[in-house]
Amino acid sequence: MEIVGRILMVEDDPKDVELTLTALEDYHLANEVIVTRDGEEALDYLFCRGKYAARPSELPAVMLLDLKLPKVDGLEVLRQVKSDDRLKLLPVVVLTSSREEKDLVSSYRLGVNAYVVKPVDFHEFVNAIKELGVFWAVINAAPPGSVRK
Amino acid sequence: MQATVGSSKATSPRWPRAIARYGVAAVSVAVATVLALLVRRFGFNDVALPLFLFAVGVTAWDAGPGPAVLSITLSALSFDFFFLPPFYSLDFSLADLPAVVLLLAFGFLITRFNTVRRRVEQQLLQARDELQAEVIERTQQASLLDLTHDSIFVRDSNDRITYWNRGAQELYGWTREQAIGQRSHDLLQTAFPAPLNDIEAELVRTGRWEGELRHTKADGNTVMVASRWSLRCDENGNPAATLETNNDISNQKRREEEIQSLNAQLAGWSAELQAANRELEAFAYSVSHDLRAPLRHVAGFAELLQKSGFSALNEKGRRYMTMILESANRMGELIDDLLAFSRIGRAETQMTSVNLDQLVKEVLGEARLETEGRDISWQIDPLPSCRGDRSMLKLVLVNLVSNAIKFTRQRTPATIEIGRAEGDKDEVVVFVRDNGAGFDMKYVHKLFGVFQRLHQSDVFEGTGIGLATVQRIIHRHGGKVRAEGVVDQGATFYFSVPKS
Repeated sequence: MEIVGRILMVEDDPKDVELTLTALEDYHLANEVIVTRDGEEALDYLFCRGKYAARPSELPAVMLLDLKLPKVDGLEVLRQVKSDDRLKLLPVVVLTSSREEKDLVSSYRLGVNAYVVKPVDFHEFVNAIKELGVFWAVINAAPPGSVRK
Repeated sequence: MQATVGSSKATSPRWPRAIARYGVAAVSVAVATVLALLVRRFGFNDVALPLFLFAVGVTAWDAGPGPAVLSITLSALSFDFFFLPPFYSLDFSLADLPAVVLLLAFGFLITRFNTVRRRVEQQLLQARDELQAEVIERTQQASLLDLTHDSIFVRDSNDRITYWNRGAQELYGWTREQAIGQRSHDLLQTAFPAPLNDIEAELVRTGRWEGELRHTKADGNTVMVASRWSLRCDENGNPAATLETNNDISNQKRREEEIQSLNAQLAGWSAELQAANRELEAFAYSVSHDLRAPLRHVAGFAELLQKSGFSALNEKGRRYMTMILESANRMGELIDDLLAFSRIGRAETQMTSVNLDQLVKEVLGEARLETEGRDISWQIDPLPSCRGDRSMLKLVLVNLVSNAIKFTRQRTPATIEIGRAEGDKDEVVVFVRDNGAGFDMKYVHKLFGVFQRLHQSDVFEGTGIGLATVQRIIHRHGGKVRAEGVVDQGATFYFSVPKS
């Protein structure tokens, strides 16, 4: 059995969540996915605050981050993660509908590890998710302190 | 006969005058003689000589030296004949000499006085003529100043107006008579751009001053003038008078103000336009993000349904499912193209010198996938370099070349030509020609519009954004696009860009 890292997904759209989970399920990557529905919840999870105060403080193997989020938007989440000494080791993949160069440039400026535009075509979408999941949760050697099972 | 008359006319004024002058001598001596004889009859003997002296004096004064000599001679003869013993004889003796000398001396004296008088008279006349000439010249000069459109006036050191030309009268509405003697700053209610003391200090220091003044006219309206002052000093160097020339610049000022207000309006519009542009950008961003998400869901769940419930669907259901998927994908393409199109309008252009030959080579290289298995005859002419944004111009060529490849699909062999056409001397005109489906020239105006298509989508696929993109890019370069086509014979697309 391969070692699969835990995936933290930050996505407000339940349909996108379901499609993503379906895609990951096909490759047996879905059982270690944590879904947070807005920027604030994602930060609570990462900083072990609020309803996540009691969780063990290991890092996930990767965070899949949407940019357009309620309350705290994706770029702000990215900024806080990359300016925290412990969290900056966490690989962050922006997974968004936006092809805007502005978003791309801002994300890379803030130190994102990858930027993926969600394809409209379902096959491409499933492929993209699968490759992301396989690469970051399986192939990539996660930084020390992240969860493996 | 006539000639004689003419000559006598020509000489007549001189002779009668001479005769009259010598006549004066004869008459005056005769009158003196008669008077002296009459007086002697009443017993007064010594009055004769003074009377002759008087006759000589009158002749010398009025008739000149010649008649004076005649008068002296006649007086001496008459005196000797009538009043010196022996009476009634012309017997000259030494005793006559004092009387003759007296007459001579008196005649000479009066002649001399007369000469002096004439000289003084001459000088006076000359002086008068000179004065008159000067007056005429001055008047002419003054009337020249009246001819100018500028308003000119002169004021003395007490600011009282001493000269006021017609231009001033026309500008301000006061006549010369009304203005002269008035204090100019009071009359015109001058508003100065700086304290008057400073202005006058500059005037005294440099001899001149220039600036803009506001004056009030006779009818109460104000007028803006460009004013030039020149100072005239007397021989001791003290300020004597100021010449003030004023030009009405009210219209100019009004136009300046109009331009300023138009500029302000323009700035307002520009700000509005920028705001509209920002809104449009925000709109494009939402389209990019929010419109794609539901589309992905439609496609995604339709796909999932197809996969998991495919066997449950009948033939019709499966066809519907396929159409849903195709439509969703097509809408995705439309959105992507529209976004790319709107991005061209917002992107900054980076103008450099672009080697078009090399650009064409790159574009053809990238088109190889599309042309696999096709029989295409390429004719590529050498192209010059031009000035433009390389990546945008590449997009233009990509669009035109892929159109040419697409619309020649039913031709064997297809011919595609890229070359240079005639244009202005500061631009490069490039054309892309094909022998494909072509188009009807009556729809040529629709060709470059967004989402305009002239072919059915099941024959030639596409979103109808390619040529709109081409036009937008070329317009951003300050160039032009045009197209020529014949149905089923092919089309030619031209674009112009600035020369490098």
